[in-house]
Amino acid sequence: MADQVPRPLPMTEDEDTSGYWQAASEGRLVVQECLSCHAVLHLPKPFCHHCESWDVGWREVSGDGTVFSWTVVEHQVHAAFPVPYTIVLVELVDAPGARLIGHLDGAPELTVGQPLRVRFVEPEPGVTVPTWELVS
Amino acid sequence: MSYSHRGECSISGIGATDFSRKSGRSVVALASEAATRAIADAGLERSDIDGLVRSDYDAVQHNDLAYALGMDNISYWGATGVGGAAPCGMVAQAVAAIVSGQATNVLVYRALNGRSGLRFGRGTAMQQAAGAPRLGGGGSYDEYFLPYGLLAPGQMFALIAQRHMYEFGTTSDDLGRIAVAVRQRANSNPAAMMYERPMTMDDYRQSRVISSPLRLFDYCLESDGACAVVVTSTERARDAPKAPAVIRAVAQSGSPDVQGGKTFPALMRPTITTYPSKYAADRLYARAGLGPADIDVAQIYDCFTITVLLELEDYGFCAKGEGGPFASSGALDPGGSLPINTAGGNLSEAYIHGMNHVLEGVRQIRGESVNQVAGASTCLVTSGIPPMTSALILAEQ
Repeated sequence: MADQVPRPLPMTEDEDTSGYWQAASEGRLVVQECLSCHAVLHLPKPFCHHCESWDVGWREVSGDGTVFSWTVVEHQVHAAFPVPYTIVLVELVDAPGARLIGHLDGAPELTVGQPLRVRFVEPEPGVTVPTWELVS
Repeated sequence: MSYSHRGECSISGIGATDFSRKSGRSVVALASEAATRAIADAGLERSDIDGLVRSDYDAVQHNDLAYALGMDNISYWGATGVGGAAPCGMVAQAVAAIVSGQATNVLVYRALNGRSGLRFGRGTAMQQAAGAPRLGGGGSYDEYFLPYGLLAPGQMFALIAQRHMYEFGTTSDDLGRIAVAVRQRANSNPAAMMYERPMTMDDYRQSRVISSPLRLFDYCLESDGACAVVVTSTERARDAPKAPAVIRAVAQSGSPDVQGGKTFPALMRPTITTYPSKYAADRLYARAGLGPADIDVAQIYDCFTITVLLELEDYGFCAKGEGGPFASSGALDPGGSLPINTAGGNLSEAYIHGMNHVLEGVRQIRGESVNQVAGASTCLVTSGIPPMTSALILAEQ
């Protein structure tokens, strides 16, 4: 990555979302689930509104996703993100309805439903960011 | 016991500053000017104002404005949001304060240096967090979005537009028809930033892509300025110099699939092509005893053209998925079946975060719009859509 300005790093210490980043640092992709009724709670939150449980945890998912939507950014908003680049809205294959964001360099040809695969990158020691790449 | 606010309150005064790219003035100065104009338009004195309602994004706190204008009689204040979802909800709070006896004359305002100061188009979180080592947390969920370069609302609405195109076959030209229809209104509004600055479909098609599929002219303006209204009981409004713009009904609404945070988490909803606007519409029409067929003119929140298209569907002017063909049918053009954003909206008048839409709704009911819709007796006004939203219907007495 030839970015002159480093990309922003995620806050990984938040009480409700730190489990996601901890798992990422171990090379695992997780979504929050209710440990009582097993509903997926995404984005993460401390209370399950389905069964009124406070017992929430993390479910490991496969890391397979599909393109739900995308945009090619051609107008630069921040120096850390030189254009063009593509933002992908990724739907998780084994947690339907749960989505994450991906970043692809340039403007690859995309279609809705196209498969993607998670990859873990470590932009700085101690911070691991799940990213997505096209399955060729 | 059932309560109804239907028709109980009216907007008796409106006021605005001029709209610019660089006001050279403080935000409190802008708010003060819009406020004093609205108070004068209502035929009131500053000491008559006992309530203030602001947007949660406004830099001017209630006590800031009270101090600036020497308002010594404030006994009610409130705020709502998030951001552009506020304006109709702000009026709703004023109505609630008045019908419950907590206030008599409520000033509702929105002021910003949205071009020369904090620019939403540059991504607010990145600007506000400048220098912070880590972004997100604290319920913002920004940590799931910003590290990937999803920074600004236009990028999110581009994802939404792309999905709408996939699901329903909507085209870029459909969005262009909205941009051109709204621009035409601004072209004849001397107060609009796009006054006498025409834009054709060819101009639209040739405009540069900002975040595909959205082009420059799918984006609203970024503006410095302020707008304010005075809300009072309809009974008192009858004594004001201008005819009351009766608030037929107000509604704020979330949705069953609500998400937290400010804007981006709305991308996690099961659908990203239906918004809380659908639920606000149901509530609003029921409270008003009116339906979409009863609306003579609409001021539809337009941070982007796609936002208008989604609301046309959610407020029942066409079926879900039909917003594109509806726009391309010419329905929104001057002389069409649904006149919208008759002052130019956020797209072409100014980005006063949708508060300018409330003012133009009042002008239509008074019969004093520069693009007056003949015989308009009802006007729908809507506010921003992603997290939760609000809307209202104005009517003649």
